[in-house]
Amino acid sequence: MSFKKFDQQTFIVDTANAYTNGQISKREFLRKLGLAGVGFSAFSLGMLGNPRGLRRGSLLGTPAYADGLPDNQAKWLKEVGSKFKGAKIRYSTESTPPSVILNQIKKEFTDPTGIEVEVEIVPLEQVLAKATQDVQGQLGSYDLYYLDQSWISMFQPDCIDPVAYYKDKPELAMPDFDWDDFSKPLVKNVAQVDGQWMGIPFDIPIFTLMYRKDILEKHKIAVPTTYEDYLAAARQITEAEKGNGIFGTGLQAKSGHYSLECDWSQAVWGHGGSIFNKNKKFSGNDEQGIAGLKWYQDLLKVSPPNSTASTWDGQFEMMHSGQIALAQSWDEFFPGLDADDSKVKGLWEPAKPLTAKKLRPASEAGFNEQPNLGHQGGSCISLSKYSKNKEAAWIFMQWGCCKEIMTRCTLLGGFAPMRNSSFADPRVKAKAKVGAGTTRHLETVKWVIDNAMATEPHMALWAGLSTNEIPTELGKLLTGQAYGGDPKACMDALAKQIDAQVKDAGLL
Amino acid sequence: MVSQQVPSLAVDVPVSGTERRRVWPRFLTSEHPFPWLAPITALILAFGVYPLLYALWLTFFKRNPVTRLNVFNPTWNWGKLFADERVWGAIGHTYLYTISALLIELGLGLAIALLLDSDRRGYGLLRALMTLPLVVPPAVTGMMFLLMLDGSFGVLSTGLVSLGLWSPQHPILASSGSALAGVLLADIWQWTPFMVLIMLAGLRALPKEPFEAAAIDGATASQAFFRLTLPMLSRIIALAVLIRGVDLFRIYDYVKVMTDSGPGTSTETLTSYAGTIYFKNADFPYASTISLFTLLLVIVTSSIFIKLFKVRF
Repeated sequence: MSFKKFDQQTFIVDTANAYTNGQISKREFLRKLGLAGVGFSAFSLGMLGNPRGLRRGSLLGTPAYADGLPDNQAKWLKEVGSKFKGAKIRYSTESTPPSVILNQIKKEFTDPTGIEVEVEIVPLEQVLAKATQDVQGQLGSYDLYYLDQSWISMFQPDCIDPVAYYKDKPELAMPDFDWDDFSKPLVKNVAQVDGQWMGIPFDIPIFTLMYRKDILEKHKIAVPTTYEDYLAAARQITEAEKGNGIFGTGLQAKSGHYSLECDWSQAVWGHGGSIFNKNKKFSGNDEQGIAGLKWYQDLLKVSPPNSTASTWDGQFEMMHSGQIALAQSWDEFFPGLDADDSKVKGLWEPAKPLTAKKLRPASEAGFNEQPNLGHQGGSCISLSKYSKNKEAAWIFMQWGCCKEIMTRCTLLGGFAPMRNSSFADPRVKAKAKVGAGTTRHLETVKWVIDNAMATEPHMALWAGLSTNEIPTELGKLLTGQAYGGDPKACMDALAKQIDAQVKDAGLL
Repeated sequence: MVSQQVPSLAVDVPVSGTERRRVWPRFLTSEHPFPWLAPITALILAFGVYPLLYALWLTFFKRNPVTRLNVFNPTWNWGKLFADERVWGAIGHTYLYTISALLIELGLGLAIALLLDSDRRGYGLLRALMTLPLVVPPAVTGMMFLLMLDGSFGVLSTGLVSLGLWSPQHPILASSGSALAGVLLADIWQWTPFMVLIMLAGLRALPKEPFEAAAIDGATASQAFFRLTLPMLSRIIALAVLIRGVDLFRIYDYVKVMTDSGPGTSTETLTSYAGTIYFKNADFPYASTISLFTLLLVIVTSSIFIKLFKVRF
């Protein structure tokens, strides 16, 4: 298949996904498909229905929040940014709340500076593929990289240290940027590799517990705090409510997808295990790892059958449509659960993640892995060494990550910010009530970030292992394709594969 | 405005004393085919031969994921390929998918073509409508069937469940036993019309005389079909199977969109596996090796088919 054809097809898929997730309007959907050469009849147009609001129930573009930058920063943007008028900067990113919102409000950057910004919002694996190709050929096709924490170490040689660049280029430095305002755990786990800054923290989805208070009350179930309690509660609810189409919990267990690896690694950490041991050998097949996987298999039995075909989008849909009552998953789902189009508006509550009996200390794990209670899937935005418009991109990067814009993004989308000042902002606190773009979960999220953030291994092979080998073998086990339901057999097979790859890469 | 002299390929050569004659380069007046084939040859070299040679070149290297350098190691990728269980599973799925789709699409295509082979009023419109699925991009078809087969709200899934024909515990695309059939469904819906078109063209080109003679001799419709129609259509059928078979062997769109090779590896084909290795593991040399291996399989399989069925182009 030609690249042109591949691009056309992925463009169509991404557009369709964006429309079904409510991220673009019907008009925009049709325009894009028109560009891709897809025609629609009047009948099929009618069948498309009305566009839904943004999945996370935000108030995008609400003028009330368009307060603008402080005077000194607005002046800097105009004076320094306009020196690069006409430059065009590009980056590709996953469809995360800050990416979507920054794309929506980018006019506030392009108007005063005259710098054009082209944002490609594509699925996560395509972001990785595009960035990989760019650094491989040192092409400079992208000026900024959106780097998920799981691949960050792969790109260590390709990114400019933003703190050093800020000091080295005082003429381009945004006043009052305040590097110390960024949450320290986020900087350490999302934006640094071996203590070296790779980019600016940009997005922090993190696992926390969410529960339907009405269903728990109805069945007189206390909010679970341990993994055993959680499984028991999920079982009890499924048995009682399955006839009403409600399950205790739902999973993001799609085979071959990173979402399954996220679920699995949290289960392993929660049972005292880790992905790698201190000898840099895969340890998913040790006693704790097997216990975690067994627990996950038991959970799957009381989940909607479609869990094995669901990614995080599917899991959110289960929560949003009232199909499930418990989830330990991404906090960024929460604002969408309170959105106006939600069937369960105001019924979900956030809580601290489940407590492990005993966590494996980070010193016992390999490749800077941090076993803990809350799996983080954060990302940073990095300046490419190969960019042909470094200065213009740097101006945009500072604008997108400054206090006011980051706080605005949180106000518009309700997701966790990167800066401590955003968490403390009175406008953010004022939105901590049921409603679209709620921030009522952020207190819990901040606690998880500061006290219980878990981080996957940082190593060059991890991008492939976490999106291919691990979720594929897990998928075989969970769907009955192989291993006859035996978690040990599955993990042993994985250990053999992964240890061989690690050894072959010279990482042992 | 300053006028610029346009450089000409022609040159003036002295003929005698003061007389000069304008002479064009020989290749522009030549009757040799090369000058006229050069542009298309260049395009084929640039967009066909060069990528193929580059892919072949890549297969001689082993990628180091840490340094991201490709180190010369000519046997590494091929050794890895023959030892890779997923490759063999993917070969099995590819052949299973190709053969199943071919048989169903060919059978359905021929049956529908026979039904539509009429000059009566309205049949032209029906034939035109039949071709509609062909104009939908495969990725969109994949999305459509993904939604229709969704275990929670898909119209096809819930329809089958409510009719008692399917267990809700095993969503079609989420179960390793049925996912490939779900993907096949999308392919069959989209590509059966292609077979219909080819079969119709073949049917309409058949001479009328043998059928008239058979009717006079009292042949039944089934006798006429099996003894006249099918033998006379055999060349067309073989050609259609060859074209569609090669296309099916490279199946990617539906698998990528609907199942992403899952659940587990139950819908993984050679091309989708190559895509996984390329896009997720960024192991470009190994992905190139799988792609080349797929090409070799296509060549070998289609050559055997051409020999066996005496396909003439």
